[in-house]
Amino acid sequence: MIKKLFLGSTEINFLNVGKVFYRVFIVEVAIFIAVLTMSLIGVLNVNLSVDFTGGTTYQIEAEYTDIDIEQVMSSNILDVSRYQTFENSNSIIFRATENTQDKETEFLYYLSNKFDIADENIDFQRVGPTFGDEITAKGLQALVIFLTLVVLLISYRYEFKYSLIALVALTHDLFLVFSLYVLLGLEITPSTVIALLTILGYSLYDTVILFDKLNDSIKTSKFSYLSIDSLNKTFNEVLMRSLNTSITSAIPIASILFLGNYLGLSGTLSDFALPLFIGILSGTYSSIFVTVPFLAKIINK
Amino acid sequence: MKKYFKILFLPILSIGLFSIVYTQNISPKLGLDLQGGISVILTAEEGTDQELIEQAVEIMRTRIEAFGDVQEPEIAISGENSVLVQLPGVTDQEKAIEALGTTGLLTFRPVLDSSLTTGYSPALSLVVNPDDPEDVTTVVKPGVTGVDDVIGISLDDNPEFESYILSVNSGYPVVYQLGPAELTGNDISDAIAVFPENEWIVSLEFKDSSAEKFTELTKKLANENGEKRKLAIVLDGEVVSAPGIAFDVDPSVGITGGTAAISMGNADGGEAANNLAIILRYGALPVSFERSSIEKVSATLGEDTLNLGLQAGLIGLIIVSVYLILYYRILGLIAIAGLSSFGLLFYSVISLLGEYQGFTLTLSGIAGIIVSIGLAADSYIVTFEKFKDEIKIGRSFNFAADKAASDAWKTILTADFVSLSAATLLYVLAIGPIRGFALALGVATIFDLMFTRLYTRNSVPAVSGISSNSRLFFPIKTKDLVND
Repeated sequence: MIKKLFLGSTEINFLNVGKVFYRVFIVEVAIFIAVLTMSLIGVLNVNLSVDFTGGTTYQIEAEYTDIDIEQVMSSNILDVSRYQTFENSNSIIFRATENTQDKETEFLYYLSNKFDIADENIDFQRVGPTFGDEITAKGLQALVIFLTLVVLLISYRYEFKYSLIALVALTHDLFLVFSLYVLLGLEITPSTVIALLTILGYSLYDTVILFDKLNDSIKTSKFSYLSIDSLNKTFNEVLMRSLNTSITSAIPIASILFLGNYLGLSGTLSDFALPLFIGILSGTYSSIFVTVPFLAKIINK
Repeated sequence: MKKYFKILFLPILSIGLFSIVYTQNISPKLGLDLQGGISVILTAEEGTDQELIEQAVEIMRTRIEAFGDVQEPEIAISGENSVLVQLPGVTDQEKAIEALGTTGLLTFRPVLDSSLTTGYSPALSLVVNPDDPEDVTTVVKPGVTGVDDVIGISLDDNPEFESYILSVNSGYPVVYQLGPAELTGNDISDAIAVFPENEWIVSLEFKDSSAEKFTELTKKLANENGEKRKLAIVLDGEVVSAPGIAFDVDPSVGITGGTAAISMGNADGGEAANNLAIILRYGALPVSFERSSIEKVSATLGEDTLNLGLQAGLIGLIIVSVYLILYYRILGLIAIAGLSSFGLLFYSVISLLGEYQGFTLTLSGIAGIIVSIGLAADSYIVTFEKFKDEIKIGRSFNFAADKAASDAWKTILTADFVSLSAATLLYVLAIGPIRGFALALGVATIFDLMFTRLYTRNSVPAVSGISSNSRLFFPIKTKDLVND
């Protein structure tokens, strides 16, 4: 089997695969829509970081007990909404909702006294709610322009139909990451937004390479249009490359995740790595199993 | 010969650049999130004149420089009405905020009354208990609103209305009752501290367009006596100084010529005069800003993150290398040599950009680099897989290698074009951290194109001539490969 996979001589009939994964795709879309509606009407909680909601975070590195944390949470200086601790380190992160500058400084000194650390060793972040909005707005703007370019480029290089399929695959990846974040209650930070944009790049890169291969197969086949033969040839051959590419792309990112977790470091780099990791897996999946059902539909017509 | 030149050009270039960077001791300029420091985003009201924001940035620069003790501050306009201030290396938050702190509005407001005449805030009046003459309480005067009822100072200072402001500038507390602002820091063109004879003087110059306003104001004040003859200089709701109009000013003429001199005495060797002059000159920004974001990263967290990024990158590179060797054998070695040279070139270029263009490597930049390792490795995989496909259909190793390399170039060109346009778009549109990421990704994509065109395109055909034993290239026997 591995040998066959390596040689690209697996004889999977992707027309049948397409039928199965079309159903999977429909189920996924249903889940995406459900998650989206539930988070819009507030049944599911979208865990937005302080960058979007406005407020302050304090990260300290100190010996602590559960009682210490309880005391901080019930201290009346700021409305401390959440805290976060880590298994492998002494870091604690406190998050508080927006307040006046004086109160925030007072809380800083309170923490510094409480945990007996110098206040310059406390990592402090304060953001107004506009900052995250701005990043999101810019991100969306970039997204729209980017997608338009993608459609134009793929239509020019290949076919208009292909560009629509690429769009479906891209959207699939975005929604998959978003739904996972909402369902697992993971925190969405500006880094997550950046990572989502990167995922688009990845997923598209994968899809373009695939279309390129498909184009080659069509050229060398006896038909001048997309046939079952060229579909099967392409995807059987491309399986290994897709696997290899996602392995080599995912390894460096996985090492950030695992190393970060091992060292007990959470922060922008991990915020970034997680959605990327999910996105790469999803991108590899979608470049094959989301595109195939639609390509199969084109053939059937 | 020409072929070997093409193969070796990029590796030699990268080794050359790296040795220059290494011997000159140039290392990447680290962003605030990697070396610790403070980053503040100041946002002005929407629709603020761009020119005013530019002025404000200039003033902040001068002020930070005058403050000293801050290494390589970066103050830049970001977005339409925001200013991004980055003070790397500064971990003393109070100090840094102080350096930026007086971002507020400088105003000139006539003094209407002060606690110097009454002994308590002019907003209050005393009520003596008729039964016990020693029991005295204060109440807010009728008609006065928005003041604290114990000490009688305004809760919210709005320079457009009358307010009561506490000042401790003279060494003891004074509550001033101030009229609405008549002039602002925007009206001043220059202020310097001078010592003409016997005492320090702050010599103040108004802009031509504002000189008339100042004359009118002084005419009015010169008519008054006592506290009402004073003009308060208010910065950020604090009375910095409240000099009185000299008694020789003619009420029908006022102070003319757009200049004024504030006597500062001689007690402190000119320190107060100098401070006041600096405040008058730089103290007020032409617009008021709100701190929409403050981020403080301690040096240790920065270092930890940098190490995490470097270690993760290195571990990633090693695992990818092992994988490539196991899978593609000699071709894997080609890929590893290419990737290493890619890494050296990247490091050198980022260091040089930091040294000569002020490019700072941030966390998101590192993320971009790590992502680009994956993309660069993929270009090799695409080429090698095409090579395999060609051999599979019975082509000779030499022919297959050549065809694969030229076909792969076309595929990678399309795919990289997409990446590059995405990176450019992100860079143009994005703010803050996204830019660092986009730049790293864009540079990496360009390098990837260069390596694919010159290095991979020529080195794969070159090695394919070594042997036609597929064991050297793939983990599979020639027989199995071709017979299929």
